[in-house]
Amino acid sequence: MSEQVHNRLAMARAERKVSRQSLAEAVGAHYQTIGYIERGQYNPSLDLALKISKFFGLPVEALFSLEPFRPLTDEVYGRNQP
Amino acid sequence: MTTTRLTRYDRTMLRLMNDRRGAAWYATAARRRLAVTAHVALTLAIGGLMTHLFLAEDEPLWTIAVMAVLLLPWMVATGVINGATRGLLELRAHVLDERQSAERSRVLARAHRVTTLLLAAAAATLLVTGGIAGDAPKAYAAPLLIAVLVTHWVMPLWVAGWLAQDEPADDDI
Repeated sequence: MSEQVHNRLAMARAERKVSRQSLAEAVGAHYQTIGYIERGQYNPSLDLALKISKFFGLPVEALFSLEPFRPLTDEVYGRNQP
Repeated sequence: MTTTRLTRYDRTMLRLMNDRRGAAWYATAARRRLAVTAHVALTLAIGGLMTHLFLAEDEPLWTIAVMAVLLLPWMVATGVINGATRGLLELRAHVLDERQSAERSRVLARAHRVTTLLLAAAAATLLVTGGIAGDAPKAYAAPLLIAVLVTHWVMPLWVAGWLAQDEPADDDI
């Protein structure tokens, strides 16, 4: 029933060097839940999505979207046709 | 997960259920399902022995001895399934996070459906058997009641073990 929510969680974690465990502890979730969100196997509630966004200091739409994310390099530098 | 304060019991259980020393036993879906199958077989065997103990007229000592021996692997299999599900059914509700709570509800709902079907099949069998051999329902009432109780008790564990997902890939950070 629920639609796939795309996310950039793995990228944000890697960039900030945050482990799943420490993110999970900060937002009151199990570390597996963070992994399943990253794999697209679990869509977080709005509450959890907001907590995760707050942890990274980013707007929620920077991390979660109903549409697939474009590669970040494309967004930053733009991209011509391949 | 932790909107209320965890007690010492909660913390101990949380640590125990997330102990990954036995992770190799439930690392893949095939291994988890093997553990569930073994658990079902052992439960059936122990249940069968209990029925024999109840119905047999002879010396029941060997039955008790075999049951005691089978209980050890049964407990190991229970531990493997609990490890695979990270204590989904063992931890108290306030220890679980939102995904685990939703997963527990899904598991309990599915287990309830399966148990209902099994109970319906058992009741139908008992009624049919009663129609053929009049005394059968009376003779099997107590073992059947025990079987129903055990099934009701362990079905969520079997369903949870069967449906458990693979661990997310290793965290490089």
